[in-house]
Order: sequence, then structure tokens, then C-alpha cells
Amino acid sequence: MPFDSQRIHEVPDDLLAAIDYCYEQGWTDGLPVIPPVVDRVDATLAFEGRPPVAVIATHPATGLQLTVHAAAVNAVMAGCLPEYFPVLVAAFEAMDKPDFNFHGSTASTGGSAPLLIVSGPVADDIGMNADVNLFGPGNRANATIGRAVRLILRNVFQMIPGISDKSTQGNPGKYSFCIAERARGNPWPLLCETQDYPPGVSSVTVFAAGGFCNVENHGGNTPEQILGSVADAMANYGCITLGQSVVILSPEHMRIVDGAGWSRADAQSFLFTQAKRSVDGMKSVGKYRDSEYDHQHQAAAHALAEPGFVHRGLSPDDILIAMGGGDAGGHSCFIPSWSRGRGSIMQHKPIGVCIDCEQ
Amino acid sequence: MRLYDPTSSGPERTLFRAPVLTGLDGKTIGILENGKLNAVEMLREVGALFEARHGCVVRPVYSKSNASAPAPAGVLAQAVGEVDFLITGLGD
Repeated sequence: MPFDSQRIHEVPDDLLAAIDYCYEQGWTDGLPVIPPVVDRVDATLAFEGRPPVAVIATHPATGLQLTVHAAAVNAVMAGCLPEYFPVLVAAFEAMDKPDFNFHGSTASTGGSAPLLIVSGPVADDIGMNADVNLFGPGNRANATIGRAVRLILRNVFQMIPGISDKSTQGNPGKYSFCIAERARGNPWPLLCETQDYPPGVSSVTVFAAGGFCNVENHGGNTPEQILGSVADAMANYGCITLGQSVVILSPEHMRIVDGAGWSRADAQSFLFTQAKRSVDGMKSVGKYRDSEYDHQHQAAAHALAEPGFVHRGLSPDDILIAMGGGDAGGHSCFIPSWSRGRGSIMQHKPIGVCIDCEQ
Repeated sequence: MRLYDPTSSGPERTLFRAPVLTGLDGKTIGILENGKLNAVEMLREVGALFEARHGCVVRPVYSKSNASAPAPAGVLAQAVGEVDFLITGLGD
């Protein structure tokens, strides 16, 4: 089959008509897109060192490939500025790792959305929001990078709702689900620092996410109280599985946790220990499986796994904790995994640099 | 105005849809169960319907450990050599 990345559609020189043309072709997420005119795509390509035909990711079931060129086209359509492009490329390089299983998470009834967490100096460099209204609208980089992920899944990988995307109810994050980790006032090492990248190198972490769960606690003033409410959200019967978790602590909650001298590892261990349900409780809602319990309590199980209980995840390391959001408000959040076990494992990649890569 | 097509795939795609069968009668069926609860039971029932209605022959069940990931290449390669078509797929 000939490579068709240069396929061009000639349309009348009318912007609104071009937007309608994109709708007619089935290229949108339901919202209007920026028509991918040649010069904008070329400007975006200038932010990637590899040639346009280089392949970033491959769909394991269909063999469809994402090239640098196709990624740039969809980035333009999403509204990305050219300087956002390295984040998008790194996100798909991370999603392309087999253990992320982007085919399963995007096809499943579970309604997963890929959550992107950008960590490090690139977030400020391109004007991402890590602060007030973190998951909400208003910031171009956050909104359009996340949207570009969805457009690529739809347009390049053909994950079409109702056909190859079988989400039962979907997830608002499927429009866009991209945040930056807040560095300002953050007492803990940034994610990119814990991921062992060289100093100054930013990263993007991808997580096949379920829906967003707000954790409100304005009365607690100890780590146990704050994280206890987070753990309760993690263990709710609708969410508890052996899957991984993302917890974004608000600055107000972080001040309480860190102020008592707790490290990230301390918080992870506490959450793993507390986010659990009894075997009888799991049976009462029909969600108990012997095989899952045995998996969590096998000989090599984590020492904090308590007999007679099902914990969320397999170990404290299954819980990613980062800080984000505005200074005011006792609102953190828990985001469950799409996977009920090990069907998708979160991944990360450096942004804009090549570390131990093959090309 | 000149627009790039956003649906282009890369130059090295090697996977494509198999040709449609011309008929079902007497064909050999493979069953690929995906590990979900009751998957084997339901797929065996489906296979039995093909046996009864089209005289198909059902091969032993193939399995994959991750319901949401593609079957391992070795499993698919084995099936290609043994069956005319494969039945799979079970949601929750």
C-alpha cells in the first residue's frame, strides 16, 4: 500500500466551509476543529527532529501506524500551538509501550480516557496550567494537547464510537484529559525527578483512566484524616479493583500531609493499607473473585496486603500521587484505572529528548 | 485552501482484513476465549450452533490471558494453520 501521508484535500478558500468539510469527513470529536492547512502543519513538524514518515506508535490489532506527520495534522486540528507538539509525541511514545495496551483501553466498554500528566519545566515553558481549575477549561495547552490525543485515536487509529470504541457510557475526559503537575510550592520531588530522568528533563505520564472523583475534606487537619478520605474514595465498591490509581492532592491537603513530615512513600503506604474492602463486603456486591484475591495475597504479595481484605492495587507503588490545583480549597481527587487488574499499566516518557531510544 | 488528511497511516502497515468467506458449510471453526467470566461456555454454545446448522468442525479452544489485548502472535499463527475462521469476543 502506498504511503499516503501527503494526501491533500482541496477545499474552497472559506474558513467556515472548511470547518464544515472536516465535520463531513468525520474528522472531529463533535466540536469544530481547526482545518489542518499545510503551512500550520509544517510549522508543527518543525518541532520534531525526526522525519514526517517516522512512526511514533502502532495499533497492535489493526497495524495502523501513527506517523510524525499524522500526529502534527491532528495537533493542528485540536488547536495545538507548534511548541506543544513534543508533549503529544512523547505521550504517544508512552502509550505505544505494550503494557499500556492502548488498544484495549480505547476499545473497551469501560470508557477509559488517556490521562496525561506533564511534569517538569516544559509545563511552564509552554504555558500549561497546574493551578486553579486544573482539570477544567481555560488553558489552551492543557485543553488542546489532550484533545489531540483523542483526535489521533479517532482519525489515525480509527477508534470510532460505537464501532471500535465500545464505551458503555464514556467519560468526559475523552474530550481532553491533560494536566500539569504543580511545581510551585510543591514540597515533594516532581514526578519527572522520581522517574530518573536527567535534571531539567520533563516527562509525560500516561494513565488509562476512568472517571474523575472529587475528594472533599475541609475539616480534617491530619494526614490520616485527609488521606483517609482519599482512601475511602479509592475503596468505593464501584471502583475498587486490583488496578492502579492516580491521586492529585490539592495544595491545601498537601500542606497538611507534608506538614506532618509525610513523604510520598508514606502517603502511598497509608493509602494502600486503608483502601480496602473485606472479602465478605466484596461478596455482598458480587465483585469478589478468588483468582483476584489469590493474586493479591500470593506468596510474593506485598507485606501490607491484609488477609481477609481486597486492597486497591497490588502495592503502594500502584498509587501515583502528585500535587495540583489552586491554593484555596480542600478538594483533591482520585482517578481510578480503567483496568481492573494489570490490563494497562501507566507509562512515562521524556519530552523533547531522546534517552536510550533506537532512532 | 489545502488540507492534509488526518487519517493517514504509516508506510509499513502489514495487517489487513482477511477476505470474506464464500460460505460456512463444512468449514473448520476455531474458538478464541478471552478469559472473561463464562467466555468458554458461551463460545462453545456458539460453536455448537455452527456445527448443527452448517456441519462445521470445531477445533479445541485457543486462549489468551488478557481479554483486552490482541491474542499472542503464536496463538494466531497456530490458528491460521488449523481453522478456516475464528470466533471470539465477549464483553462483560
